[in-house]
Amino acid sequence: MGPTPTITIHVPGPLRRYCAGAAQLSISAHTVRIVLEDLQRSQSVLYCNICDETGKVRPHLNVFVNSDNVRDLDGVDTTLKPGDVVTILPAVSGG
Amino acid sequence: MADRVILTIGTKKGVFVADSAKPRRSFALRGPFGPGVPVYSTLIDTRGTPRLYASSCNPFFGMKVLRSTDLGKSFAETKAGPAFPKEDGRALANIWALEAGSGKKDLWCGVEPASLFMSHDAGDSWDLVPGISNHEHARKWQPGNGGLCMHTIIRDGNRVHLGISTGGHYLSEDGGETFRASNKGVGAGFAPDPYPEFGQCVHKIARHDDAPGRLYMQNHGGWADWTGPGGPRPDIGVLRSDDYGHSWRSIAKGLPSDFGFPIVVHPHDGDTIYVMPLEPATRSCPGGAPAVWRSENAGESWSRLARGLPKKQSYFTVLRDAMDIDRLKTPALYFGTTTGQLWIGREGGEQWDCLFDSLPPIHNVKVAVV
Repeated sequence: MGPTPTITIHVPGPLRRYCAGAAQLSISAHTVRIVLEDLQRSQSVLYCNICDETGKVRPHLNVFVNSDNVRDLDGVDTTLKPGDVVTILPAVSGG
Repeated sequence: MADRVILTIGTKKGVFVADSAKPRRSFALRGPFGPGVPVYSTLIDTRGTPRLYASSCNPFFGMKVLRSTDLGKSFAETKAGPAFPKEDGRALANIWALEAGSGKKDLWCGVEPASLFMSHDAGDSWDLVPGISNHEHARKWQPGNGGLCMHTIIRDGNRVHLGISTGGHYLSEDGGETFRASNKGVGAGFAPDPYPEFGQCVHKIARHDDAPGRLYMQNHGGWADWTGPGGPRPDIGVLRSDDYGHSWRSIAKGLPSDFGFPIVVHPHDGDTIYVMPLEPATRSCPGGAPAVWRSENAGESWSRLARGLPKKQSYFTVLRDAMDIDRLKTPALYFGTTTGQLWIGREGGEQWDCLFDSLPPIHNVKVAVV
């Protein structure tokens, strides 16, 4: 495994108040799972909005690496490379 | 400040607060707070400086508790909402009940999946109450139409009564350390055994401080015509206990339906109770004509209160926590509908007026005089 890539997390508007207003966070991580573990330690309130108590990403949220939903990749085990952008977005819901 | 009548209105799109001077001629509306997020439970905690609480159940970002210390002019999230320990394996799906505890900042919280949490710091941190949350029955309870919810928490000295849908009535007599199912006489219509030990779909339980031992229950009725195993179960929907919830008996005779959700006790008379009978299939009042029904003799007989309510073509539902009564000398009832109307029943429900007619679907209505 090479050097740990530094990636950018894009934080959606409704969650920015849980990370001091930041629209982006920079984290070094090999996988999405490690991104989430890092958030659990460094941004615990933000993390609770993204993952439930069992550690699963909340069911109505989608996590993208660049333009790909991690559900279509390897889920939270999706690997990351330097410069990747991880975007967390609410799923489309209507009604 | 003169006494104000405060209403918290939990809706599909946030919590509203309405207030009025004591004559209750008109109410001013504020909100929505926590806009766009469903609110299933609210609490007006009148101990000391009043605090208003509302659950805020965000389908995207999880469960929060909102708190107001300025009578509902503004709300802010508490530092944390209730959450299961990671090793528990359950994840919070909704918050159904908020009640004041014994200490000044103590709160109890009933959640989905059915479990109980307690806070000692006005909702900033929460601990799971294991006596019921890890009860040997807990993994056998089944969700009702609204989910597997703990929706009723009643404290009576060292007794704690819980209502769970579908789990039934659970009673603690040691301050909440241990609980046992206490459903003798509480029927179920969706199981071959009409009177199981637990698993009933209790909709709401109420009590009155001046009627020791007395409890009232709106249970899931509507099973009079059941022809399957175990036979019909008429009148299992509205019940009364006179022994602190150890046993229950029907008081549904005289009602047009034993199905309904809320049950409310008059603040100054423990024998006077109110229900809203619904047709079980549509969850709306019989004949499309809404009415609250009142008993003034603890359920022995009932009378219909509908003056001012629509006489036909109304098919709303009033949910389990969407009816309350204030504590003024001549109290007023309030109910909110799934079609977004908030009604006031003046003179104890004798005369009904619509206060607001275009709110979002209403889940919860609480009232207090502060």
